[in-house]
Amino acid sequence: MTATQIDLLQSAGSASQANLSIRLERTEVNAIAARGVEMVYQSGTERFQALKNIDLEVKSGDIQLLMGPSGSGKTTLLSILAGILTPTSGSVSLLGEEISKLSSSKLAKFRLENIGFIFQGFNLFPALTALENVEVALNLKGIRRAAAHRQALDLLDQVGLSQQAKRHPQDLSGGQKQRVAIARALAGNPRLIMADEPTAALDSHNGHAVIELLRNLAKEKGRTVLIVTHDPRIIDVADSVAYLEDGVLKSGVRTR
Amino acid sequence: MASIARKNLFEDIPRFLVAQAGIMFAVSLVTIQVGILKGFTRSTALLIDQSTADLWVASKDMVHLELTSPIAAEKVVQAQQVSGVERAEALMIRSSIWRSDSGLITPVRIFGFDPNSRLFAGWDVSQGKLNAVKQPFKVVVDRSSLKNLGQTQIGEQGKIGTLPAQIVGLSQDTQSIVSSLFIFTSLENANAYATAGLNTSVNCTRKTQGNLVCTNNFDNAPLDGKPASLTPPRSLSISDPISYVLIRAKPGQDLQQLKQRLEAALPDTRAYTQAELAEQTQVYWSERTGVGFILSLGATVGFVVGMVIVGQILYSSVADHLREFGTLKAMGASNWVIYSVILEQAMWMAVLGYIPSMAFCLGLGAWTQTAKGIMILITPATAGGVLILTVVMCVGSALFAVQKVTRVDPAIVFKA
Ligand SMILES: Nc1ncnc2c1ncn2[C@@H]1O[C@H](COP(=O)(O)OP(=O)(O)O)[C@@H](O)[C@H]1O
Ligand SMILES: [Mg+2]
Repeated sequence: MTATQIDLLQSAGSASQANLSIRLERTEVNAIAARGVEMVYQSGTERFQALKNIDLEVKSGDIQLLMGPSGSGKTTLLSILAGILTPTSGSVSLLGEEISKLSSSKLAKFRLENIGFIFQGFNLFPALTALENVEVALNLKGIRRAAAHRQALDLLDQVGLSQQAKRHPQDLSGGQKQRVAIARALAGNPRLIMADEPTAALDSHNGHAVIELLRNLAKEKGRTVLIVTHDPRIIDVADSVAYLEDGVLKSGVRTR
Repeated sequence: MASIARKNLFEDIPRFLVAQAGIMFAVSLVTIQVGILKGFTRSTALLIDQSTADLWVASKDMVHLELTSPIAAEKVVQAQQVSGVERAEALMIRSSIWRSDSGLITPVRIFGFDPNSRLFAGWDVSQGKLNAVKQPFKVVVDRSSLKNLGQTQIGEQGKIGTLPAQIVGLSQDTQSIVSSLFIFTSLENANAYATAGLNTSVNCTRKTQGNLVCTNNFDNAPLDGKPASLTPPRSLSISDPISYVLIRAKPGQDLQQLKQRLEAALPDTRAYTQAELAEQTQVYWSERTGVGFILSLGATVGFVVGMVIVGQILYSSVADHLREFGTLKAMGASNWVIYSVILEQAMWMAVLGYIPSMAFCLGLGAWTQTAKGIMILITPATAGGVLILTVVMCVGSALFAVQKVTRVDPAIVFKA
């Protein structure tokens, strides 16, 4: 389906909107599609163009890497693709939905339902145990009490941390923390996983374990995974790699 | 929601304790100020509240219970003839000075009433007998006043003016905080105490070399120096000054109409219902004296201080956890979810600050009542009001802290 067709369908009226999105999801090929994305940071009189005319398509079920030197705009692009940052211009659609047009509360709901996040700094809740960290994500998605407890245990089991469920983040190693974060990102079964430098704070052994885990859990359920990294070891697991340099996307490379 | 609020609150125990100390300070300050104000206001009308008279007739000059012009005792007789009056009796209020055996003196307010009826003395006598004041020079005092009178127990004797006064009973919950100590006795005794004065004399002697040396003697014994020959107090005559005529209405009387009949029959008087007199007395003390204003000011200061402390603590807590709030936002939590975390934190602070403070205040109130005779009146309404105030205080501070989160850019989550 081309962009023009989508536009035509979307202008068909709001009454058929619900039907429409189901049809779009079923027929989509690209889980992530960015077109003409530009990002200009403005602070006072300083104007800095972090992204220049980015076109990117990520196929559904792919593991897509976004690589490039520090300061090239990777995090900025990831934030835009995840609906956390609004681009200066251009459009982004996720799972067939044009997110640049959503209000901020609709966008939050979209993220809640469809995107799992993994951060370089883990961003776990330090006052909560590993289990509770996962439970919070489930609670946010409307899964509560016993059901949340059961699913959280199950997720921790999947990342191999069922023994550490009662520990607080401060009592876990870096690798374990990132695995808790993965379990949390998988809570509620989102179709997209967005990870910003998930291995940067880990040694190579742990880094590799985390990547293996991400690949297995993602592939198994056909999730689309976008990983920002400059860790070259991850290239092995990727379906496709895109390079950013000074805010410009160099042509992507398909690895398989 | 696995309780982020509660866990974040208890994660940093020292900070939590500082916050709770602040809230407890504020809650206690507000409660005590309001309690003192209420206790104070109520104490000024304790005697009125506990009397069983339907109406009080006073000189039209009357300002509050203890400040009124005298009226003649014949008004009692006149009042008795007004239709609808079942019983009329006199109440006399006089001032004098109490002198204990040890020589301590203290101002007192003497209430002379009819001990055969309880129209005035509706209060409890916790020790001794009210009837004993029918005897000459016997009095009842409030149990909380004993110490300030320089006495320790029932049966002891002091002096009022020049006359002896033996304590034959202790009353309970009768003393007004703002007044001189109350002495309760019969009308006859009160009249005698009120009219007995000091004796003075000057002794001069001529010394050698023609110097005249004079000394002033102030004596509180009768001039003849024979206190044993005390004459018992005489009965009241119709021309003696009294302060109030207490009225019991016949059953089924409309009090407002009876008031008008009494005022018409007794020139230059005004009649008050129990509630009206209590109100007028309480308003006088709380407004005319500025005490109410000062105590309200104290309560307001407590509230503001509490608000600032809670606001400060919540704000810094939110600032410390900004990244977590950003993470919640990135994950797609709605603003409401984030507010509810902060609100829950505020509610925990409110409740956990309120409970120990209220317990403390109730304990303090019980202690001041028994030890000092100062009533800190914490009614259920006060306790409920302070709880609401505490919640408002904490939630108000939370709203102040919430601003910081609303402005958080979820993009901070990607900052390493
Ligand atoms: N909020 C911001 N305001 C101004 N400039 C920014 C902001 N965020 C990022 N930048 C700039 O944009 C460029 C790209 O940043 P970023 O996307 O974080 O790069 P990367 O993740 O590849 O290291 C950098 O030069 C950075 O200084
Ligand atoms: Mg980055």
